[in-house]
Amino acid sequence: MISFSQVTKRYPGGHEALSGASFTIEQGELVFLTGHSGAGKSTLLKLVAAIERPTSGMVSVNGQNVGRLSRLAVPYLRRNIGLVFQDHKLLFDRSVIDNVVLPLDIAGLDRRESLKRARAVIDKVGLLMREKANPVSLSGGEQQRVCIARALVSRPALLLADEPTGNLDAGYAADIMSMFRDFHQVGTTLVIATHDDRAISALGGRILHLDHGRVGEASA
Amino acid sequence: MIGWLRHQKHALTAALHRLRAHPLSTLLTALAMGVAISLPGGLYLGLANLSQVAGELPAQPEISVFLDTRATDAHKQAIAARLKQSDIAEAHFVPRDKALAALSASQGLTDIAAGLTENPLPDAWVVRPRETAREAMSRVASELGTLPGVAETHLDSLWADRLQAGLAIGRAGVWLLAGLFAVALVAISGNAIRAQVLARRDEILVSRLIGATDRYIRRPFLYLGTLQGLLGGLAAIGVLAVAGLILRAPVAQLAGLYGSAFQLIPPSGLEIASVLGLTALFGWLGAWLSVARALRQVESTH
Repeated sequence: MISFSQVTKRYPGGHEALSGASFTIEQGELVFLTGHSGAGKSTLLKLVAAIERPTSGMVSVNGQNVGRLSRLAVPYLRRNIGLVFQDHKLLFDRSVIDNVVLPLDIAGLDRRESLKRARAVIDKVGLLMREKANPVSLSGGEQQRVCIARALVSRPALLLADEPTGNLDAGYAADIMSMFRDFHQVGTTLVIATHDDRAISALGGRILHLDHGRVGEASA
Repeated sequence: MIGWLRHQKHALTAALHRLRAHPLSTLLTALAMGVAISLPGGLYLGLANLSQVAGELPAQPEISVFLDTRATDAHKQAIAARLKQSDIAEAHFVPRDKALAALSASQGLTDIAAGLTENPLPDAWVVRPRETAREAMSRVASELGTLPGVAETHLDSLWADRLQAGLAIGRAGVWLLAGLFAVALVAISGNAIRAQVLARRDEILVSRLIGATDRYIRRPFLYLGTLQGLLGGLAAIGVLAVAGLILRAPVAQLAGLYGSAFQLIPPSGLEIASVLGLTALFGWLGAWLSVARALRQVESTH
């Protein structure tokens, strides 16, 4: 589903975030990206979603050469990818449900159908009581769950999560990780960047370890 | 297709929502646009009203040939024969009783005509020479003046020509002014939209990350510009309506002093529709010009 071949990403200024990374992730896999901060985890996820372009090498997602994707094609790639951000990136000028329904609005789905789907996914992350609330009034863990709901509402085959539990205390983190396990069990491909070892040992799965931009396999 | 329609509807409701969310800035922008448009609009209406007055006057340059009251039938026939020559484009005879009837019917002179005990007017010919240049006109006029039985010739409508020429300048001025204010409108709209884009930075960036196309992001701002332009057009019409109400009484009084039933003519439905259409168009244009630039700015600071 995802394949990196000799991918290097050098930022302006010379910092090399990824150096000759090569690996493949199959459909339905659960993969953890580990490594100290600055090791290139975020960069790797951004390359998959075409938020960044590789300096050299080829990134391919579902057979598409993502690094060469035209600006016009990028939105359609992203519609098939659920993104979970450490800082949630919620919009505070609208309610929880309006945040979650946004990807479906963007895709041009029928509004009533969209709201139904949004409500179902909000229920799944356990926030149905708060659907009308402004995300500002939610705790960090709840905001993260809204972010996950938004990533899942368009039923993407691939979910990328960048430090989804980074700012959360242990209880919330365990909640969210068990949520991810459920998605994995229904066949979603998950790539989770984290340095939460407890989560990794609880879920199991493949580990890609990044060290100064180099990727290696590691065991749990 | 249905998805496209949904996007349009979604963008329109989003734009309406944004207008409602900032009533004061919406109102101020509409007023700025309205005042800007009401200037050429007001000038246009003023000229339309002046043209209406001028339209009652002869537009073509003519020579009036007044016959001597003692002119004989032979003289009259000779004059009629002369007026059939090739340098005369058109000539028609106005008998003296018809002239009096026309005088009585004409505005402001009714009172004078009613006070007359006998018809003081002579028979006359109204002549339009083939050449209407000033020199040719006066040559023909002076030649006709030497014919026996002719009391006097009069070069009419030169002043009407001048009025028409003045109105033509005024009309050109309207278009010039309208062009300038259209540019102002685009600038006002562009500026308002730029502020909106920058204020919605987060929404734009997040929408991008979850698969929004350029068009999806641009669309609400284009609707916003169009609606803002439309509101500006409505404001302009409001300004002109108020101006018309204020001017109506003094104009009626002035017209009354001239014994005229002249009234201010309001803009036609078509004219109102064109003003609204054009302001919406220029609002859209301003939004279109500014949104792409503002979006680049938002995304480069990301």
